[in-house]
Amino acid sequence: MKGPIFSGAIILAGMFIFLKFLLPLVTAPLPASLIYLYLALVLSGIMIYGTMSAPSLEAMMGPIFRFLSGKGQTGAGQIARLAVLVMFPLLVGWQTYSRLVPSDLPPAENRTIHPAPPGEFVGLSNPYPKTPENIMMGKGLYAAYCSPCHGANYDGKGPAAPGFNPPPANFSDPGTIAQLQEAYLFWRIKKGGVGLPVEGMPWKSAMPRWEEELPEEFIWKIIMGEYDGAHQSPRTWEEEEE
Amino acid sequence: MLNGRGSLRTLLIFGLFGVLWFSSVFANEPPASEDVGSVSVRMYQIEGSLPSEDPNSSQWDSVPSSEFNLAPQVHWPPRIQEVTVKSVKVKGVHNGQELAILVEYADPTEDAADAAALEFMVGDKPAHFAHGQEMLQVEGGPVNIWFWKNESGKAVDMSAKGFKTLESQPHQDVQAKGVWQNGTWKVVFSRSLKTEDSQDVQVEEGEWRSVAFAFWDGAVVDGLVKEKGGQKAVSTWWYIRAEPTADNSIFGWVILGLALAAAFELVIVRKLRKGQSV
Repeated sequence: MKGPIFSGAIILAGMFIFLKFLLPLVTAPLPASLIYLYLALVLSGIMIYGTMSAPSLEAMMGPIFRFLSGKGQTGAGQIARLAVLVMFPLLVGWQTYSRLVPSDLPPAENRTIHPAPPGEFVGLSNPYPKTPENIMMGKGLYAAYCSPCHGANYDGKGPAAPGFNPPPANFSDPGTIAQLQEAYLFWRIKKGGVGLPVEGMPWKSAMPRWEEELPEEFIWKIIMGEYDGAHQSPRTWEEEEE
Repeated sequence: MLNGRGSLRTLLIFGLFGVLWFSSVFANEPPASEDVGSVSVRMYQIEGSLPSEDPNSSQWDSVPSSEFNLAPQVHWPPRIQEVTVKSVKVKGVHNGQELAILVEYADPTEDAADAAALEFMVGDKPAHFAHGQEMLQVEGGPVNIWFWKNESGKAVDMSAKGFKTLESQPHQDVQAKGVWQNGTWKVVFSRSLKTEDSQDVQVEEGEWRSVAFAFWDGAVVDGLVKEKGGQKAVSTWWYIRAEPTADNSIFGWVILGLALAAAFELVIVRKLRKGQSV
């Protein structure tokens, strides 16, 4: 099997396999729309190459034209041509339908889980020393005030957790408090869900605004107990400078 | 001239080009599927009268339900750590004029103070699910609450924007009917899709609204009602929609697309057969 159509198809298929399956081995997977865009560019290149001269045009389009005209076809060829001629309008119809049919999915939500804190909370450090007594007190306060949602095991699986959307944060996950500084937690605990900016969708959060009920000392100690209990360390300025 | 093998090859090549073209349909990422519970309530469109008066009506049997987990209200004092109602099944129907929403949940005893409520955001501003309480960086809107209590046997149409602002509306637009049977409450709330009252949620067919749920177990334990006021089972916001009337004009466009594609093919094939270049 040879000819420009076949080579073009091989190039396209190879490009697709490269973008879809090989590239994700070394980097993040590409969105489908980007893969489609790249393939469209490759197809354009093939078309330009194939139509550069009269002989190359004939080599590329000739077999297609002969196939479509149906002249002298028998058996499998006839059936294949009929199938193509029937499938094309059906695909156009299906495309038309799928583009016009109204979506019945709820609006997509792009909630930012860790939005930027207000300026006054940036760079604060925990004023209490990490003594066993302070950590112990923090864990006790955590058990009383936080564990109903965030869980006795710091895993976001407290008895009240299943009812909430978004779910309570899982502190043992390396993607939550391990990525944050103590000052960030201080802000989130103090101001609660209602303190979030618009991209954090504060209207959905059940996180209490603890400044109404707990002194700052308790909050700093809860943070200490939380990191210790979840076996995580806060992100520090030193790490960021590296 | 093409023989069978040549045609097969051409078909294969066509197929590959076709797959590329076809893949444009999927060029947009499919939505991520939710694997925990429901995310929305669909109020299905039905003809004629709604089963608003009868939670046990057989009309409800054919309506698919959504299910939502509930949590003890721990967001604000007075908190509660353990609640009776753990989840709720919700069904909805509408007929273009009226809507009815059925909530069904387990509660082992029927008590005078048993109660259920639906909450909706009103207007364009997002309202916090806890009675539209104040948010610090976002200007919020009010909520409309439909509250039913067993001992009164009726619904109260209420409004709130912030804690301690909950009040009964001057204009009452909501009805409710509850039936307790074998450890299960079924409560139907009903209203017209739209009202004249600016304090009410306005339901437009095909448009998503936000809804939240709350339930109180009014059982009396040691002389005190177990759940009342802020001590209740709650959900945060979920979506609800009155399903729109099917738009049949789409099929007209589909037929037009089919016809145009077929006509295009006909022209091409005729030209090719006459030996013209396309």
